[in-house]
Amino acid sequence: MPEITYREAIRDAMVTEMRRDETVFLMGEDIGTYGGAFGVSAGMLDEFGPERILETPISELAIVGAATGAAMVGMKPIAEMMFMDFILLALEPLMNQAAKARYMFGGKATVPMVVRMAGGSGTGAAAQHSQSLENILMTIPGIKVVAPSSPRDAKGLLLSAIRDPNPVCFIEHKLLYKVKGEVPEGEYTIPLGVADVKREGTDLTVVTSGIMVNKTLSVAEKLAAEGISVEVIDPRTLRPLDTDTIINSVKKTSKLLVVHEATKTGGWAGEVFAAVCESDAFDYLDAPMRRLAGKDCPIPYNRLMEAAAVPQEADIEAEIRAILNNVY
Amino acid sequence: MVNWREEEFDNEQTMDARQKGEELGLSNERMIEMYRTMLKIRLFEEMADKLYALGKVHGTMHLSAGQEAVAVGTGFAVSRSDYMLNHHRGHGHFITSGADLGKMMAEFLGKDTGYCHGRGGSMHIADVTANNLGANGIVGGSLQLAAGVGIAIKQRKTDQLVLTLFGDGAANEGIFHESLNMARIWDLPILYVCENNQYGMSANVNRVSAKTPFRDRAAAYDIPYFLVDGNDVLAMYEHAKKAVESIRTGNGPYFIEATTYRYFGHSKSDRNLYRTKDEIEYWKTVKDPIDRMEGLLLKADILTVDAVKKIHEETVQEIDAAVIFAEESPEPDVKDVMEWVYA
Amino acid sequence: MPTPFIMPKMDMDQEVVTIIEWLKKEGEMVTKGEPVVTVETDKITSDIEAPETGTLVGILYHENDEAPVTQVVAYILKEGESSTDLPGVKELSRESIQAPSSTPSHAPAETTPNLRATPVAEKMAASMNIDLAKVQTKGDKITKTDIENYLITPQPAQLGKVAATPAARRMSKENDIELAGLSGSGPRGRIQSTDVAEAAASLTQIASPKLASLPKKDTQLVAGRSVPLVGKRKRIAERLTASYQNSPHIYLTVEVDMSNVEASRKRMNKLNEKAGKSSISVTAYLTKLVALTLKNHPYLNASIVEDRIEFWEDVNVGIATAVPDGLVVPVLHQADQVSLSDLNERMRHLGKQARDNALTREDVDGGTFTISNLGMYGVHSFTAIINPPQTGILAVGATVRKPVVVDEVDSVEVRPIMSMTLSVDHRIVDGAVGAEFLADLVRVIENPDMVIY
Repeated sequence: MPEITYREAIRDAMVTEMRRDETVFLMGEDIGTYGGAFGVSAGMLDEFGPERILETPISELAIVGAATGAAMVGMKPIAEMMFMDFILLALEPLMNQAAKARYMFGGKATVPMVVRMAGGSGTGAAAQHSQSLENILMTIPGIKVVAPSSPRDAKGLLLSAIRDPNPVCFIEHKLLYKVKGEVPEGEYTIPLGVADVKREGTDLTVVTSGIMVNKTLSVAEKLAAEGISVEVIDPRTLRPLDTDTIINSVKKTSKLLVVHEATKTGGWAGEVFAAVCESDAFDYLDAPMRRLAGKDCPIPYNRLMEAAAVPQEADIEAEIRAILNNVY
Repeated sequence: MVNWREEEFDNEQTMDARQKGEELGLSNERMIEMYRTMLKIRLFEEMADKLYALGKVHGTMHLSAGQEAVAVGTGFAVSRSDYMLNHHRGHGHFITSGADLGKMMAEFLGKDTGYCHGRGGSMHIADVTANNLGANGIVGGSLQLAAGVGIAIKQRKTDQLVLTLFGDGAANEGIFHESLNMARIWDLPILYVCENNQYGMSANVNRVSAKTPFRDRAAAYDIPYFLVDGNDVLAMYEHAKKAVESIRTGNGPYFIEATTYRYFGHSKSDRNLYRTKDEIEYWKTVKDPIDRMEGLLLKADILTVDAVKKIHEETVQEIDAAVIFAEESPEPDVKDVMEWVYA
Repeated sequence: MPTPFIMPKMDMDQEVVTIIEWLKKEGEMVTKGEPVVTVETDKITSDIEAPETGTLVGILYHENDEAPVTQVVAYILKEGESSTDLPGVKELSRESIQAPSSTPSHAPAETTPNLRATPVAEKMAASMNIDLAKVQTKGDKITKTDIENYLITPQPAQLGKVAATPAARRMSKENDIELAGLSGSGPRGRIQSTDVAEAAASLTQIASPKLASLPKKDTQLVAGRSVPLVGKRKRIAERLTASYQNSPHIYLTVEVDMSNVEASRKRMNKLNEKAGKSSISVTAYLTKLVALTLKNHPYLNASIVEDRIEFWEDVNVGIATAVPDGLVVPVLHQADQVSLSDLNERMRHLGKQARDNALTREDVDGGTFTISNLGMYGVHSFTAIINPPQTGILAVGATVRKPVVVDEVDSVEVRPIMSMTLSVDHRIVDGAVGAEFLADLVRVIENPDMVIY
């Protein structure tokens, strides 16, 4: 199976679908000749032309608003937010219009749009260009939120997202763009709302997404050599969250750790905890549920501080050991 | 209280209906239809007000009595295959596009037979399958969606357009600028109609807008502009028609500003403290769009006094029937509250 | 100065009296020596006299109240005095005023300076090794009643308020292990699932103050094995200890002639055999007779609940049943109303359930009286411990063929004689009451046809 980068996998998904379905088009800033700020749409202008690779002014509000309107009349727009931070300018059409149109209009409208956004820290882009805002996006009913952690997941999930009749936020972590992985050629979809057990284990369940998945897998590999067996679950879709997979895992291991880059307070680890406590997995917990999350501060510029502001491998390892040693 | 300012319109006031009809290719029947529709809107809004006063409507409503000519003038100028996006004061536009009054009333009463099965209410009423993409609870909401609809039309290469109504308040939202800008750079087939009824909620337009009328704003985006007396329905129609033709020939967006006035407060909790009774009286008597059209049609012998009475009676009956339908309709099942969150 | 009217202490252990009736009302004139209020103690009712002549005012305790002895309960105003002369209630009660007319024959016990407990209570606590700090009281002193309540109330540890993980709790329920008996290996002493698992595997020493003082295994002079006192056995131990300590038991024994019961039973079983029904057991028959008799002796079908006596409507007779790991008492609900054959069937069913360890909560709850039968082991008579919160238990022995005097002319015949010993809780059932019940029961057993048909 060929190995391609996460970035290429995303492009692959868009190209595949745009060839198959002429109602699909991409709109965003600098996606044409420039090929997109992160190079995701490189070469697509040549194939699809300026109408379907629609380069926009710097108007995030109108980009998402227009995507909503186009979707309402039967197109399948993919709106690109250069940085996830900029979705904040467009929360109104996303949450007031797209998320609610179907419901408000009594089921008579659909908004099959995708909003792709590049999020996450680690590139020194500082506070306004490094956020992981999934916490906010997850709270509004009517939207789906997807966060792939690997090239294979990215392509399959994006194809599903484009085909999904609901508005989907597709979160790409900047540091993942260059990561390589095996990706099947041609069309394949990964269903939304289904978690992936990235590594099976028996001692502890770690639920994690995005860039944290790889960090956790590295730690799990290291601990395996000591006989510690960590189960790593990647929800892949944050809303709707596949709580069944998580619950079954916690019943098996009795211990839970959630790791996410998004900030701690109001973070989606709380959702996972609530789901576990509301299920019969509660009776199987043998240690307090724990979380590692982005610190409750803006992302700093200084390199070391930037790293300290979000969970790193050492933190994940220390936390797993502490849980297993009954420190808490 | 800031006094309204008598505008110098770009159009000439309609003085002779017969002559105008010939000019515009409007049959007498069509003009009578325009009159009837305006009356229907007026009586509908008054009935809605009555129902609200009787406690039958939950929430609030934004009534457009006084602005009928804008709705009818623009609505008659576009075709059923064109899209429409309007705002929270959109009952008139919806009625003009041929909406069923009973289903509208049912929606206001939150009934399952309403256009949105009771989920949307007055501010979110829509008939997407009939290309009516809805009223919008967010000021300026129509402007962003219009850009997208325009993009879709262009990609599909049809000659449709999107009639996009918004108020004077929306002209100060950021989206106004983003939308006009996009419309121009991509030549989107958008007919922007600014219904300038002089007030946002309570703020007079001249107080909160840098430079009125909005001629220069349209010009800033290189979009053709026309300022029309929004209470002269035939003038409204005339210039909307011109705009439509321009758009259909591929010239891109067009901007019409229609000066008009609303009789009721912004919403049901408005006590009209920000304008004078005299002002309201003036518009209701001297400038009323329905009276003017009625006068013109009577003068041109296109309508008789009896015919007017008859139209009046028929319209009242229509509206009464709609109310009965709505009141007798069932409520949606509370258990279905989670339906339609996702497709 | 108004004269304080102090409630005299009339008995060594007495702490309170119950006001039955104020013979004189607030504001009435009283004469020195005149009976003013009728009160009741544990043992007797008596009238208390006015200490002074004057107007009775400031009554602090009213009918049905419990008034503390040696404390002020009212005042007498002499001529010229008014109510405004009355000191604040609190002030006066803080002074320990000795009752002028009481003549206690005991020396006042040593009390702690802040008077936290009554002398009686202190003595009780000392003798029972109870930490007064743990005893709750509604008044401002711990009384004997408070100590008695403390003894029968399960303490927090027994209520399950231990730190334990959800998994540990689940396992403890599944394995019938008391969390309170375990020591936790988790942080802050939290019980983890491994702790429960180890206890379930059963070879762990459970920490217990009494066991700690026993010699260690390797210094024991007698070889043996140990099993932890856990689960059912532990619960039985606790319950019976409590019952024995709290219910003052008295025992009444009778012998009863079982001839008529045997004859009646034989007749019934012949008919049953023909009808294909199972034969009525002696225990079932006896249970029915006991139940019918209990209906007429409400004090034996009652319980003390807090400060009340509850007379139960239903007669739910429990049958003490031996099972491999202890004792269970399945209950035959409404035994007085259920027909004898139904009762018999139900008893057979419950017996089987008990042997299969399949009794449910409903099967063992709600008993109002218990019968324990060791006759099948050849035991002639024995005494049983009451099953709390019941008031009585009937211990039935073997039916033995004995020569007995049968009529006024002293003829001797061999008859099947069974000994029954009734244990009753003397707090509710006095000897005579118990004896009446037994006499009634004997009559019923010896003449079963009067009640069975």
